[in-house]
Amino acid sequence: MSQPASNRRLIVFGVLVAACVAGAAAAIVAGVSSGGSAAVVSANVRSALTDARAAHRPVVLYRRLNHRGQVGIASTAGADDAPDTLTPLSCDRVAFGGARGICLTRSRGFAAGYRAAIFGADLRITKSLGVEGIPSRARVSPDGRYGAVTLFVAGHAYAAAGTFATQTTLIDLAEGRKIADLEDFTVYHGSRQVTAVDVNYWGVTFAADDDTFYATLATGGKTYLIRGSIRRRLARTIHENVECPSLSPDGTRIAYKKRTGSSSAPWHLTILDLATMRETPLAESRSVDDQVMWLDDRHVLYGTDGAVWETAADGSGKPRRYLAHGDSPAVVRW
Amino acid sequence: MYQVSNSGSLLKAHRRLLATDRAARVPRTVVLLGITSLLTDISSEMVVTILPLYLISVGGFSPLAFGVVDGIYNGAAALVGLASGVVGDRFRRHKEVAAGGYGLSAICKLLLATIGTAVSAIGTVVLLDRIGKGIRTAPRDAMISLSTPKEHLGVAFGVHRALDTTGAMIGPLVAFLILAAAPVAFNSIFVVSFCIAILGVSILVLFVRAPALAPGAGEPAARASLGSATALLKLPRFRGLLLAGGALSLATASDAFIFLALQRKLDLGNSLFPLLFVGSSMTYMMLAVPIGRLADRVGRGRVLLGGYAILLATYAVVLQPLGGWPVLALGLGLLGTYYAATDGVLMALASSVVPDEVRGSGLALVGTVTNIARLVASIVFGAFWTVWGIHSAMALFGVALVAAILLAALVLHRSRVPAGL
Repeated sequence: MSQPASNRRLIVFGVLVAACVAGAAAAIVAGVSSGGSAAVVSANVRSALTDARAAHRPVVLYRRLNHRGQVGIASTAGADDAPDTLTPLSCDRVAFGGARGICLTRSRGFAAGYRAAIFGADLRITKSLGVEGIPSRARVSPDGRYGAVTLFVAGHAYAAAGTFATQTTLIDLAEGRKIADLEDFTVYHGSRQVTAVDVNYWGVTFAADDDTFYATLATGGKTYLIRGSIRRRLARTIHENVECPSLSPDGTRIAYKKRTGSSSAPWHLTILDLATMRETPLAESRSVDDQVMWLDDRHVLYGTDGAVWETAADGSGKPRRYLAHGDSPAVVRW
Repeated sequence: MYQVSNSGSLLKAHRRLLATDRAARVPRTVVLLGITSLLTDISSEMVVTILPLYLISVGGFSPLAFGVVDGIYNGAAALVGLASGVVGDRFRRHKEVAAGGYGLSAICKLLLATIGTAVSAIGTVVLLDRIGKGIRTAPRDAMISLSTPKEHLGVAFGVHRALDTTGAMIGPLVAFLILAAAPVAFNSIFVVSFCIAILGVSILVLFVRAPALAPGAGEPAARASLGSATALLKLPRFRGLLLAGGALSLATASDAFIFLALQRKLDLGNSLFPLLFVGSSMTYMMLAVPIGRLADRVGRGRVLLGGYAILLATYAVVLQPLGGWPVLALGLGLLGTYYAATDGVLMALASSVVPDEVRGSGLALVGTVTNIARLVASIVFGAFWTVWGIHSAMALFGVALVAAILLAALVLHRSRVPAGL
């Protein structure tokens, strides 16, 4: 390499380094300031939930898709263009019921772990429990007594690296401690106890009686809806091909993801009537990967494509955008 | 053939340096290729680290399915690697082929940032990224071997693998730092990853000089083709090496399984799981150069077999009943040492057997055979684990490994692979 050629290469390299450093810096700055309007946390935001509770006014908590994943609070009366109320909480998944909520959030520092932060209606965190994996689902029982979180954990299953297992943990929010992993429960499929090594649970939903819960059980390549009792640590399968169940406020129906068998659109949102076991597909044609949240007994909410959508629970009509730049909706009724 | 020191006086100066400065025995090309690999590994590992998180976050892609698909992709990449080795030989364009592979992977990072969240699109980009990796490996290793004097091949590959592993450890750290600043800024990570990858490619393109072939390897060999690559199989020494490498790989439990077994043994939490990878990688990084040097001195075949004996010891650590942190440290240390004594050393050994003009094809063939054997081993191990449990699976692989080591020792000795056996 002659000297001038070598110098030219050094100059080209220097320019590239400068461009790359500038590009990387710009990308980080853009990431930090993305996600729509930079709403300021107002001074009275801490009373947003307590005020709503005093007025018996239902609200929707959701994760605003800004760079911090801040929890926003919206009114339930169709809130697409409503002004933001952004809270100081930053969560990957948020859920709330009665007096307590769960916020699945990244641990501070270098650890790759997450924590389940328990917070009250004043949005102050009262207790933090370490959890492992990537947050997938969070739910709170209607009165805020129990919570459940599902996380994806890598390298947990017997299968080769790159595959995932799920870990679902029940939490006593009142006492701020873990109750058990669903894997520790006794589960029956028909008359047989489920003992396979490939069992995974995810997507818990709670009934109003402070004991009954529903969830997804996966084993042998199939998924089942299970109904169980927290107190007796017992559950049994009641229906096949149900993922991420969500119990309606009146306790009569389950909204869930039904696997379609197609790889390009793997799921279709469906309603299961628990009395008749009749299935009703919803009008949402997109494949949604979320645990549905009931807005009321006739409408459901879910996050997909970077927004929260609403659709009728009887399969009629068509979906409409409910909240822009958000996901993980959590409807709070008082 | 030793292209950096192209004059006698330089060579003498170089030899003098050898006596005093250990690093100086490694050609510039190898160090530059190592830096390219380091930057590329930072770039790709930061994406690999957050890809599951991204897929779950954007939704729609079942991580379970992703694991399966990824296995198929890696198989496809292995076959592409074979082609790129042959093309590099055929046109004497190892550098250009390698740059194409590095470049393709770099562009994939930018694509990830721009294609949005369509599942099929993400899957396609991940496949392209794997193909880029498949393309670059054989020509890069060919360049390392062609620019290094035969007696220093072990240490040259050691230096390259040490730099490569360093990048693999830095990558996840960078990703977590960015996520700490902006938890949902996946696109920022992809763009930063792209920028780092571009620097890696530019070092290769701007500063690495394609190694010249030895004067002896004249024009007739320019007809290197698929035919001459298959003719390689007629070389008893190469065939022996391929057989030995394949047999040893078939008895190799993937590190993922060893990590899982250690994790269960010590009842480690999942958040500590990545630390297992760090532990063995640190050992690999620190030992790659000294063990490479040892291989140059006492024989690469011996060190390779020794490496697999160390893997056997790793199985034993997993199988024995004692637990505790010292056992974990021992297991990870042994695993890292096994990598340092086998990964680069096998390529150094192969380089000393394969003629210059078909170096890319030969190394690609070794890579493909060992990769596919390891893939098969992983599937078999997973099946054994499911049916009989992890201890029986590990014990069976231990027995198979003893057999493979004996076979490899015999074959390497019979086919008179040079350097000590």
